Amino acid sequence: MLVTKPIAELCALLIDELHGELPSRIFAMLLSKGRSTVPQLSQYTSMTPRQVRHGLAVLQQHNLLFYHVDPGAELAFYEANPDHAYNLVRTGKILEMIDTTFGAPAKDVMQSLLLSGQTRISDLVAAYQEKIEQANKSAPGVGDDGDFGAEPNGADGDSQSTKSGGPLVKSTAHLNTILCRLVEAELIDVVHAKSFESSEDILKTVEKEVMAKYFPGGVKGNKAKAEFQERIAEGLRKVRGESKSLKRKLEQNGTAAKRRRLLSGISAVNGVHDEDMDPALDPRQVIRINYEKCLVDLRNRRLVQYASDMIGETTAYVYGVLLKLLTKDLPRCRSDPVMDAEGDNEESEKGPGSVTTEQILDNLKTSVDLSLGIGKAERRHISSTAAEKIESFPPKKKRFIEETEVDGEASADEDEGDDESSEESDYDSDYKAPATNGTNGVNGTNGTRVKFEEAAAPKERRMDRPSMLRQHLLILAESTQRFVRHCGSNEWTVDFIPVMDSLREAELDSVIERTCGRQGLRLVRILRAKGKLDEKALPNVALMRKPELQQKMLEMQTAGFVSVQEVPRDLKADVKKSFFLWFCDVDRSYNRLLDTSYRTMVHCVQVLEALRQKERDVLETTKRTDVRGREKDTMRKSYYERYSRFLDCERKLFAQVMRVDDLVSVLRDF
Amino acid sequence: MSGRGGRGGRGRGGRGPPTNGRRAVAQNSVPWTMDSDIVLDGKPSEQFPPYNVPKAPILTKTEEKQVSCFLLFREQCQDSPLYTQARSRAQASSTARTYGQEQINKRYGQVTKATVDPFTAVPMYSHKFRKLPRTLPDLGSRPFAKEFFPPELHSTLDGDDELAGPGTKRRRVGPKTLGLSNITSYKTAEELFLPDTQQADSGANLNKALELLNTVEKQNEDGKEAYLSGEDDDDWVRGNGDEDEDGDVEEDDVYDDESGDDYNAEQYFDGNQDDEDYDEGGDDGEGFF
Repeated sequence: MLVTKPIAELCALLIDELHGELPSRIFAMLLSKGRSTVPQLSQYTSMTPRQVRHGLAVLQQHNLLFYHVDPGAELAFYEANPDHAYNLVRTGKILEMIDTTFGAPAKDVMQSLLLSGQTRISDLVAAYQEKIEQANKSAPGVGDDGDFGAEPNGADGDSQSTKSGGPLVKSTAHLNTILCRLVEAELIDVVHAKSFESSEDILKTVEKEVMAKYFPGGVKGNKAKAEFQERIAEGLRKVRGESKSLKRKLEQNGTAAKRRRLLSGISAVNGVHDEDMDPALDPRQVIRINYEKCLVDLRNRRLVQYASDMIGETTAYVYGVLLKLLTKDLPRCRSDPVMDAEGDNEESEKGPGSVTTEQILDNLKTSVDLSLGIGKAERRHISSTAAEKIESFPPKKKRFIEETEVDGEASADEDEGDDESSEESDYDSDYKAPATNGTNGVNGTNGTRVKFEEAAAPKERRMDRPSMLRQHLLILAESTQRFVRHCGSNEWTVDFIPVMDSLREAELDSVIERTCGRQGLRLVRILRAKGKLDEKALPNVALMRKPELQQKMLEMQTAGFVSVQEVPRDLKADVKKSFFLWFCDVDRSYNRLLDTSYRTMVHCVQVLEALRQKERDVLETTKRTDVRGREKDTMRKSYYERYSRFLDCERKLFAQVMRVDDLVSVLRDF
Repeated sequence: MSGRGGRGGRGRGGRGPPTNGRRAVAQNSVPWTMDSDIVLDGKPSEQFPPYNVPKAPILTKTEEKQVSCFLLFREQCQDSPLYTQARSRAQASSTARTYGQEQINKRYGQVTKATVDPFTAVPMYSHKFRKLPRTLPDLGSRPFAKEFFPPELHSTLDGDDELAGPGTKRRRVGPKTLGLSNITSYKTAEELFLPDTQQADSGANLNKALELLNTVEKQNEDGKEAYLSGEDDDDWVRGNGDEDEDGDVEEDDVYDDESGDDYNAEQYFDGNQDDEDYDEGGDDGEGFF
């Protein structure tokens, strides 16, 4: 991540918000000065070395640092980890996501983990043990008023556990199960010796090792260079894979299906659950949150939202299930250029694999009505070849890919139980071009574009579930955003890069529309389609009057969405004679947008700080131990109103930060 | 301009024929001489004209939840032993522009014993409810995975990173445990405004809550130490029946177990010998906390 001034500021502010002033100052200094030692830091910040050490310890505990100790050296070099610091702003989203997908207890565990930074499993278990015991102890104390005491834990088998107040995690076995699930989902990974080396350091070490081991005489020739790269990538992958050691161990021990069944049992029977079947995690291991995988899940949610905006909710739900299945083993959103480039035997390079229709069907909730969101069209309106087209390769710009038509497609249509399937397969073998033909429609149900035809045959109305699911998937595949690729008969996959590109473009478009209006957006789209356009030609293409157009273009130029290039006609470079070419550089717009977003976020947090200053007296009162939690009763009314207004503002400001972060993650991380 | 106006005025008064062309031009070209019934708008332009401030759409349910999660997390963070509450930055100068690191550094370390506000620094009764800010993180109270820290930080992690002086006292005894935060919810403005809805849920328990409150108050009148020292907290907190109540008071007892009751504000004011520890430039704090 390129650290610019606004990001540095933002990171420092976030750390200040969550971990206090001391670590924040040190972090800001590390960002501005680069890697430094304790004496250096103490000189830069004019703090005592002892303060610096304390601050560094806190940062390191929260995974916000890289450090490097040369063998034999006394001093360590510290370096800031801006990615993790930025991810602090996503804490709310991650926790909410875990709450939705894994349930409240998992969220509780994750929150504790985030709170304590990197943690040894045994420590975490002990902490929970203590909490549970405490709850148990206090339960009989207030036993006379059942609901007020801590909720009885799992052993009591009471149904009150849903109430707040009691421990969400019932027992250490329950904790173990949750940890297992989170580890399996890769949301938690293991801290290993190299976790805190910066990527450059790791690269250097691996390079050195490879040089010493395979190329003692130096790398000569193209072939050797390629091999050298290959070896480095392999070494890096090995280092990276170390953090997944716990997951691998879990996979060896038991099948996921068994556990899943078990977990469903837990949610049903609150009382005695046999969690012993989960293998106990090695208590010596140290775990922490894996932001990369969290980002993958957040991206899934964003894509589902995108699909929901573009197509419809039911289809988006189907898409969500598909994405969840697809990204189960996807470790990160963006593959690393060094590690994943030539790794021909690694699956991550090959994309996320594919999912069959049956798999999706198995994972769909039965309560979801799939018939919603599908339109009906007459069969003659539909070209089933075009709709059912199978693209087995991801779209690539450089080479033309023949659209492979597979005969197996016919079997895909057998779901619909029609005698026309044979006819269609014949048709497929003959034709390539998607021609609209009255004879080739299969039941007319492939009308993926929603066309409402009242006169649809009754037979079409009662589609069975699999074929309805297929319709949804076909809608996704056919959309202009290319949500899904139909990569084999009944096999579906997602090419994340083009989908994300289209999402990014949509985001940019909406920003342009908000700042420069529809006209501006139209002009940008024209420029995108045409490339560079002369100033004189643009009014004709855009069908706008020249002064209006120029004003709009200037407006957009100041906003950074379009740029102008001056091309002199002759050597003298006469301004009157030279060409002025308008163009829009999308990447530059993205970068500019990102920069503005960071600034906005910084501004939000600063406004919050100013508000705190303003309401200082009120906030000081609310911090008192006798007031806290009983603000309404203890505070004077005017104070209380100011306090609640402040809380409101705070929520709004943080919500704004998170919304801006949505944009940032789409532009930068997904 | 003013000279011209004067001349025009004289011209108007004289009513004589124009002596030269210039005056005639001046007389006729000035609009207010020709048009007597024009009303000049003498008001200054509006300093803050109405501006259509773009308003963010209201939060969706998911966003509400996300923000709540974040705020709750922040509350917990700020209660953890690793958080340093103390702000050493003088707030008055915070808006001043700075040039260079030195000036930035000078902004900090402003809040010391010498800069306390004499009006609020006099010990008051309400101060016993105030939480003392921590100047350094309380590292000694919890376990760390030391192998992932550079060796130079190890003694700091143990809480041994004291000043070299022989008078430093070690107060930390007992096992190190990772305390989980007991804050389970964050108060939102709506909850504050509508406390009744929450209690309505546990309507039957309301009476009991009041009862417990009464007993607590009675205890307080009797001067029982238990009120804040954390022994009775569980009853007290749960007795309120409000899920938001288990904030500080309960959390105190987590720290009490391991830190020798350091957070007990009463003890702070009773035992005067501890006063010296408070914020000696942020260096002495560790011994106390």
